[in-house]
Amino acid sequence: MSLFTHNFSSDDCVGLHHFGETRWQYSTDIISTVEFNHTGELLATGDKGGRVVIFQREQESKNQPHRRGEYNVYSTFQSHEPEFDYLKSLEIEEKINKIRWLPQQNAAYFLLSTNDKTVKLWKVSERDKRPEGYNLKDEDGRLRDPSMITMLRVPVLRPMDLMVEATPRRVFANAHTYHINSISVNSDYETYMSADDLRINLWNFEITNQSFNIVDIKPANMEELTEVITAAEFHPHHCNTFVYSSSKGTIRLCDMRASALCDRHSKFFEEPEDPSNRSFFSEIISSISDVKFSHSGRYIMTRDYLTVKVWDLNMENRPIETYQVHDYLRSKLCSLYENDCIFDKFECVWNGSDSVIMTGSYNNFFRMFDRNTKRDVTLEASRENSKPRAILKPRKVCVGGKRRKDEISVDSLDFSKKILHTAWHPSENIIAVAATNNLYIFQDKVN
Amino acid sequence: MLGRGLKRKLSDYEENMAGLSSAFDSSRNLPYPLKRQLVLNMCLTKLQTYKMLVEPNLHRSVLIANTVRQIQEEMRQESSQQPINVCNGIAPNPPSYPGIDSSGISLHLPSGSSQQESNCCNSWSAEGPIENSLLMVSDDDMSSAISSILKDLDFMEDISPPTSLVPAGDDEPPKSPENTCLKLEDDRQDLKGAECVFGSFEISNSTSYLKDLAIDDIFEDIDTSMYDSDFCSPPLMAPRPPSAATEETLKTFPSCNSSSANNIPICRTDLKWVLHYLS
Repeated sequence: MSLFTHNFSSDDCVGLHHFGETRWQYSTDIISTVEFNHTGELLATGDKGGRVVIFQREQESKNQPHRRGEYNVYSTFQSHEPEFDYLKSLEIEEKINKIRWLPQQNAAYFLLSTNDKTVKLWKVSERDKRPEGYNLKDEDGRLRDPSMITMLRVPVLRPMDLMVEATPRRVFANAHTYHINSISVNSDYETYMSADDLRINLWNFEITNQSFNIVDIKPANMEELTEVITAAEFHPHHCNTFVYSSSKGTIRLCDMRASALCDRHSKFFEEPEDPSNRSFFSEIISSISDVKFSHSGRYIMTRDYLTVKVWDLNMENRPIETYQVHDYLRSKLCSLYENDCIFDKFECVWNGSDSVIMTGSYNNFFRMFDRNTKRDVTLEASRENSKPRAILKPRKVCVGGKRRKDEISVDSLDFSKKILHTAWHPSENIIAVAATNNLYIFQDKVN
Repeated sequence: MLGRGLKRKLSDYEENMAGLSSAFDSSRNLPYPLKRQLVLNMCLTKLQTYKMLVEPNLHRSVLIANTVRQIQEEMRQESSQQPINVCNGIAPNPPSYPGIDSSGISLHLPSGSSQQESNCCNSWSAEGPIENSLLMVSDDDMSSAISSILKDLDFMEDISPPTSLVPAGDDEPPKSPENTCLKLEDDRQDLKGAECVFGSFEISNSTSYLKDLAIDDIFEDIDTSMYDSDFCSPPLMAPRPPSAATEETLKTFPSCNSSSANNIPICRTDLKWVLHYLS
């Protein structure tokens, strides 16, 4: 893996200066989720084949200072396998929909991974010592003949090559009729929630055979169904508060202290529709694909098909900021509906200080918005454009009229190259971008 | 992108659809009713495709169904304002537009066409096989498509009901799209006709399947002629359990007792035989 160094041009500075990039290619599988852990030391990815790959950041080394902060593979394991539900004659995909880390409480790392139906708690731990000198078995593990043993010894721990092992500690199954779209660890570190299209369940980490249903929007008659849950997340500090978003572009904030079943929201966030932008596809493009609390807990960010919105928890009637991700697609909605691209679910992320937000787009483009300076930039995750020590060039889409030399026209965009999943290091300017089966890690290297 | 198990083959129809949707996007002169009809056709096509899938995507189905309802509502409101009856989409009206040409890519629009004077739904002329394939689907089909999709989703379902016993109080009472669908059909057949399309799903959907039927109907094909008599002679096959146990087992089938009153009287030994057969 070679290390590229890129510099931003000062014209489009969004608070990030130099980027060094590493790219990891997944041989066959499409990456379906990316998540840093709470310290940023580990980066987990899940893919369509049910595999989890964890990268670890290299420690600072005086011998190789330029390799500081490079991420290398730490552990790989098969989290979920394809299953067959015999009762309903349905195949359950092994694709990992979401990974969420637990905060580290001892030497081991814990993460939750989920597919459409089952959530699993994985323990990832290191082993660098091995006991040697057993009495009853020899070094190869074969049992000794007890009558041949003439003396006793105490086994000792000897160093061995580092081995990282992942073991499933809990399996939380059979609680979701519909497809799980979100999981979120509570700030109490004892519970977490899992959300599917119509229900949200609250789990205790220790109890796998039962969960509490805290939201249920399934109507008595399915023909009356007009809205589904699209994402859910716990408040980062208040363990009683969570939000969930819907396919109608609304966000509900719920307080679990109010009642056992949180069907009555405490707050309801909805922006009135702009009549000038009304189209047949208005409802479809208003469906929220991701919702994220800011690190401060004061704001929530939502992603719908064309925009990213920032909401103040204290103001329900409209967002405080709206950012256009790719508004040039507004005139292409019918074609995007026809080829199903309009249903693509883009995620969005905050940086550590909540000053910059990032989300993906098509043609392997991803966008960053600086909330303070109101500047934005479009970057491309593509190896063709990555040259050693080259400037990571901001990209621009030409919306009409004369196309400049480096611009790309809307009709030339590759809609099969979509960046749905991105992650931002919790405290530093390191981002991970999943482009189909390639993982790009961009780092801000200040010289 | 269509989901599992369904191979998408390029066909003339799909080529036309791709051409039409890009025409929708690029042409500003496209009349509104035409655009609306195009979107409606696309929605219904998608819903029909999802119906064929083993597990349709609930999120997408709901979004598409909502779009269809929205268009339906709009058409209904327009038709209620117009003196002309809502056409049922089968007999084409006097064409206001020549329709698409055989290549299916470009749309030829008459200059200075009068637009919203005419009806809301049928703007195509049946000029060729391509146009016919894109003719309006009737509202019947729309309603039944939505209903059957959502009923299917309910069918594959719900082994584990939520543990909480608090009744779900919805803050926003859902609009009843059923009423909307029904209103559109004032000049055509009952919804019952459309309901027959997914009538078969009703049976498997109903949890009261067993309660609705008399116990005799379930075992119609079993030859019980030996036992269809008034005297309850002990059957030669089934051993007779103690009467206390019989009493107990009878108590577990209260509905069977009441419903069987209308039919051949089943004596205790018959029921015992049934229970034995079941086990």
